[in-house]
Amino acid sequence: MEGIHSRICSTDLLRKIKEFTLSILDDLSEGRSPLIFIQRFRIYCTNFDSNCSCSCNKPNGHEILTFQKESHVHRIDVLLRVLLIVHQLLQENKHASKRDIYYMHPLVFSDQTVVDRAINDICILLQCSRHNLNVVSVGNGLVMGWLRFFEAGRKFDCINSPNTAHTIPVLVEDVKDLVSVAHYILIVEKESVFQRLANDKFCSKNRCIVITGRGYPDVSTRRFLRLLVDKLCLPVYCLVDCDPYGFDILATYRFGSMQMAYDAKFLRVPQIQWLGAFPSDSENYNLPQRFLLPLTMEDKRRTEAMLQRCYLHQEVPRWRSELESMLQRGTKFEIEALSVHSLSFLSEVYIPWKIQEVTSMCHI
Amino acid sequence: MTRTQDISIETVSFRSVINGSVVATLKIAFEVSDTGTGSCLEEFQDLKYNREGIGTEKWDGLLSIKTTVALKYVFPFLTPLMPCTQRSNASFERISLSADCLLFSLLFSSPLTESAHLLVLQMLILMIPCVAAELVIKQEDSPGLLCENIFLPNECNPLNFSSSNVERLKSGLEEYVLKHGNILNNKCDSCFCSRKQLKISSGVACSMESQRGPGLIVETVIAISELAESPCFRSCRNKTEVLHFKDFSPCSIPVASLSALTSIDWRSYGLTLRGGVDQVDHALIEWESLPPDLRIDMAIHCYRKCKHQPDRHLIKKAVKLALDDFKGKYTGFLLSAHAVKVCSYAPDLASSIAGIILSSNDSEFQSKCASLLGLMQPQEIGRQTVEDRIKGMIITVIETNDRKPEKIKEAAPLLFEDDHPQDPEPTPYSEDYEGGDDVFSFSE
Repeated sequence: MEGIHSRICSTDLLRKIKEFTLSILDDLSEGRSPLIFIQRFRIYCTNFDSNCSCSCNKPNGHEILTFQKESHVHRIDVLLRVLLIVHQLLQENKHASKRDIYYMHPLVFSDQTVVDRAINDICILLQCSRHNLNVVSVGNGLVMGWLRFFEAGRKFDCINSPNTAHTIPVLVEDVKDLVSVAHYILIVEKESVFQRLANDKFCSKNRCIVITGRGYPDVSTRRFLRLLVDKLCLPVYCLVDCDPYGFDILATYRFGSMQMAYDAKFLRVPQIQWLGAFPSDSENYNLPQRFLLPLTMEDKRRTEAMLQRCYLHQEVPRWRSELESMLQRGTKFEIEALSVHSLSFLSEVYIPWKIQEVTSMCHI
Repeated sequence: MTRTQDISIETVSFRSVINGSVVATLKIAFEVSDTGTGSCLEEFQDLKYNREGIGTEKWDGLLSIKTTVALKYVFPFLTPLMPCTQRSNASFERISLSADCLLFSLLFSSPLTESAHLLVLQMLILMIPCVAAELVIKQEDSPGLLCENIFLPNECNPLNFSSSNVERLKSGLEEYVLKHGNILNNKCDSCFCSRKQLKISSGVACSMESQRGPGLIVETVIAISELAESPCFRSCRNKTEVLHFKDFSPCSIPVASLSALTSIDWRSYGLTLRGGVDQVDHALIEWESLPPDLRIDMAIHCYRKCKHQPDRHLIKKAVKLALDDFKGKYTGFLLSAHAVKVCSYAPDLASSIAGIILSSNDSEFQSKCASLLGLMQPQEIGRQTVEDRIKGMIITVIETNDRKPEKIKEAAPLLFEDDHPQDPEPTPYSEDYEGGDDVFSFSE
């Protein structure tokens, strides 16, 4: 599986598509039902007591798609339609978004997730990443801070105005001449927090780079973050709400997502440290009781399920303890709740204290 | 005893006379074998009759047949008309039966009713080799013959004496359908331009003899007619007449057979059962959405040496064997509902594959594809031809696979898997959110 630092050329992918097509025709000509093997990948399992191989980036079995099952045939139909589109994109050196592809056959695809799955299947079949197929996402992430780079000839000089937000480039391959004087990278879960920091001129007072994926990070954001980490070798801190969704977003940055498990090796950032908010912060920072919301049944179910993930036991036991504490307390709160003390409490007090605390612990 | 011109057929006739008037005449023809017992006409000169136990005022006489040749085919010929007092005014009555002797009496007071007539026509399906019968009824007060030659000996039976019972049943049902229930003397040319319009299959299921009882044999024959333009059939083609035979005699369908028929998974053969009804002389199965040009007929024959009760499982097995035999012999027929659905994807699959081939700028790749498709260069022959060829290949593969037994069809969905990843978590929001606002709110 190729990553962002090595380029699979279109020629290779076109060759693989042709080989795939010929194998199908060969099976049909022999009167055989074609078998399409699609490897399965996962980033975690629930067997946290045993030594699992989830972190080894190896496939975990195959799915075999055949013409014998109606569900398989529908999936093959979608896969071939998307493959035809990808084939044309590669031959003509054009790009399309996943949403563009969806609208080419909306009645057949019925839902964006159907297209997403087909693209993933093709990536696994052709052993490449999504961007290699010339399928792009609309960039959703924002970045600001002490860095400068070029993208497709356009200069992004964040250093001159470190509190100005810029859209994260969609095609990481187009990022050139990356320069930074930052001391660390800060990831924030929500755009509202990102804007809070921008308004407080956080980056003027703190030599850092701030990134947000505006919720669950898209692939472009994760790839850009991975580029920064690999190029700049800076510590990475993550600030999320103290709730199950925030924790899941943190885990996505750190370990990757199940949907993109086949590419997790090139998307996750193992260096990420969880800055906050922790359940204990509600007491440590005197958060009023009215800001502590009860966990819903769905929250509890999701939290209990996340606690079963093997990596929480094997790699980040402290994160698991904090998550268990959240479940035991039965409450959650947003980062913005800390602004009860002052509007700039987050940027002037909380974040600097937290970073200092983490830095001190690392030195110890 | 009279002799016909064909010396191989001996005809015995006797009449029923009431008050001195001939009411009915029955001729029984016995086919004489070439060798062995029954090969000499003189043997039949010993045929005797006696009048014991029967009022002579109504009978010319009784015929006692003593023969060791195909006795089983003679005796069952009589049983359809027993008991007969409720059915018709024509009756056969078996007086006694032994291993080598059959004694029967005949009594006619009026023409055979339709039900008895139908039973006799159904008897022909069994193609019993050694019996041919001609039944003539004449009434005194009617000009000419009321019913003449209701059925004739099957002189054209292509089967020889050594053919199996199921082969006879197949042949008999074929003739029955081609002749519209054996009403016609010959195949209906209006409905059947070619015999290929009629497709036949069979299945035989046996149970072994055990301490519980003798073994049972169940034979099933299925006939499917393709009748695009049929002037003879009524609109009720979505119904199937299931003829049931027991020990070489037509009989009403037992509960076990009806139960077996309704318990079959007809959807695996592309059929949907609406219901089954037990008629007087046959069972009627009704289908949902049977193609308008198809008609299905079926015959089930259960027999054993001794008396037995119909076995539901064996009947079901025999019917399924006949259905599987049909699927195996005739491509594209009785496709399961699942296969039909899968085939519906064939045009789209073919279109995508053809698109990849034809849009490629690699001529060598296109040549390889053309070779596998058995075509000339795809660009020279056009997209539709390429699509049609691929579609045909896909459909062939699906149909071939549909004919395989269930246990072979299933493909392992996963290989080399340690455990199935348990994901009790709800589906997370897609990480590739295309919008611009925060996803989550805690408004609940």
